[in-house]
Amino acid sequence: MRRTISVPLYVGAFLMSLAIFIVGIYIGSTMDSSHLASISEDVSSVSDRVASVQLLILMEGNSSAFCPAYSSELDAIDREVERMGYMLSYLEDEKGVYDNELKKKYFVLEAESYLLSRKVGSLCGGGSVLLINFYSNKRCDNCKAQGTEVLKARDELAADGIDVKLFSFDGDLNSSVADALAAQYSIDSYPSVVIDGKTYAGYRSSDELTALIKGQT
Amino acid sequence: MEFTTLISYVIAFFSLFTLNVYILLFLKHRNEYLKRPESNGQTPTISIIMPAYNEGPYIEESIRCLFTLDYPADKLEIIVVDDGSTDDTGRVAKSLEGGPIRLHVFRKENGGKGAALNYGLKKAKGEFIATMDADSYVTEGTIRELLPYFKDPDVMAVSPAVKIRPGGSWLRELQRVEYLMILFSRKLLSFIESVPVTPGPFSMFRASVFDKVGPFDENNLVEDQEIALRIQSHNYKIKSSMTAAVYTEPPDNMKDLLTQRVRWQRGGFRNYWRYRRMIHPEYGDFGMYAIPMQFATLASFFTLLGLLLYMMLTTPYYVRYIWFEAFGMSVDLVTLVAVFVVLVSTFFLYLAVKSFDGEKVKLRYFVTFIVFYWYLMLGYNVLFLLKEIRKEGFSW
Repeated sequence: MRRTISVPLYVGAFLMSLAIFIVGIYIGSTMDSSHLASISEDVSSVSDRVASVQLLILMEGNSSAFCPAYSSELDAIDREVERMGYMLSYLEDEKGVYDNELKKKYFVLEAESYLLSRKVGSLCGGGSVLLINFYSNKRCDNCKAQGTEVLKARDELAADGIDVKLFSFDGDLNSSVADALAAQYSIDSYPSVVIDGKTYAGYRSSDELTALIKGQT
Repeated sequence: MEFTTLISYVIAFFSLFTLNVYILLFLKHRNEYLKRPESNGQTPTISIIMPAYNEGPYIEESIRCLFTLDYPADKLEIIVVDDGSTDDTGRVAKSLEGGPIRLHVFRKENGGKGAALNYGLKKAKGEFIATMDADSYVTEGTIRELLPYFKDPDVMAVSPAVKIRPGGSWLRELQRVEYLMILFSRKLLSFIESVPVTPGPFSMFRASVFDKVGPFDENNLVEDQEIALRIQSHNYKIKSSMTAAVYTEPPDNMKDLLTQRVRWQRGGFRNYWRYRRMIHPEYGDFGMYAIPMQFATLASFFTLLGLLLYMMLTTPYYVRYIWFEAFGMSVDLVTLVAVFVVLVSTFFLYLAVKSFDGEKVKLRYFVTFIVFYWYLMLGYNVLFLLKEIRKEGFSW
């Protein structure tokens, strides 16, 4: 027999696949932007909560009467802020989806919640260690690894009953808030961590971090 | 775009494309896939060759089923080749001599299935040859349904609907679903002259084909696939029937099943590699689609496996804090395509099962098949790769 190639079959299958692919890409990108939008909404609503705490502190001055309320609300806020950070990182690291404006907005919120936590810590006597991780995705090879070490140290310390609150700032973003904080803690290289206001430049393993934190408290 | 994303897109597109080829083939041939050509009323002589090695428990039923064939008994002969069995296979077969169909039992030194088939070919006098396993059971209509395909002089072989009888263990039921799926897809491939196998449990050949392309390969792990590739390489046709039912005994434990599948996979891969020159427009759809698809499927499978491992190993530490959210956010094009492929394949599988007369599959086996088939494939593909890499010897 003379064999033939069923060209229309393959062209048809190709076009069908292409059509499904295009729909898939469209749905996928719609979903990505809806994830960003929902994080953006969360950032706004948490910002409002931060603003209320700020307002209370301004109203009450340095009174410690409201400490229990400040602390629990701030703890909740910090947890939310951390979670949103992971979600933003996940979208950026794993899917290449990001929105620089949203990240800037997020860093403002993070800086606010950090400063508030410091303030409330000094006002009420803090239960938590505050750790800032300054990183850069462009100028730093081991910043990703440093991020993981910080988390591991936090998890190890939690097992010992020491609560660490984490804040991470990207030095590449031209975020005025992140840059101001970096200037305040004299950050000139990445990675650098700040533990309760004290700056440590260079990569630290989770064991080193644990030791540093235990030494400081 | 990241490299891993690109690779996953390519694999997703390939799976989608393969599925769409099947869908289009089905849509085009939906009114004919259950039909066979009209019979021309002729009743040529047929030799049924049954190599048997230690098939004592099955061979009697296997032969008795042949006695029920709806075909003139004087046009049939059964040639049992006892391949040096150490059990009572030969004796049981001999005890059935004198039945309605002429039965010859030959005994030879053990030499493997290919050699036993060729021994039978030398003894066979029929215009058509049926090869079968001694643990396969024909149905009354098997020959009646297969023979009409040979009206086309280019058709050299026809493969029947090799199925598994319902009941028994879950492993058996899963293989049953799988066999039905394979039959359905093979039937669709037959419309583009791309049937890649003439199954060992039962197949029918025009006797002259062995003069034209040579006898069975005696040193092959899957001689039933090799002969089909060889027939294809001579540009003859192989057809496939959904209605000529033959039942066979599948492996009934995991170890035997894995051994069987690794043998199929290794032998199959080697045979395709041996006939890789057929990847050429001269061989039409078989050369430009069916064979490349075999290699591409294998390559995609391992790439996908590597990709999944890589993704698992490189999952950032923080993901443990947002498992649930990360799961939601990880939905992307590839996930959507995968869901689409699984859903449509499920529907296809349902269609396949529904197409067969009287083949009913319990929902729980159907679902188990969809969920676990992947793991079965994973098991034998990984074993296949390991054994090929270690150049391990072969075993049945």
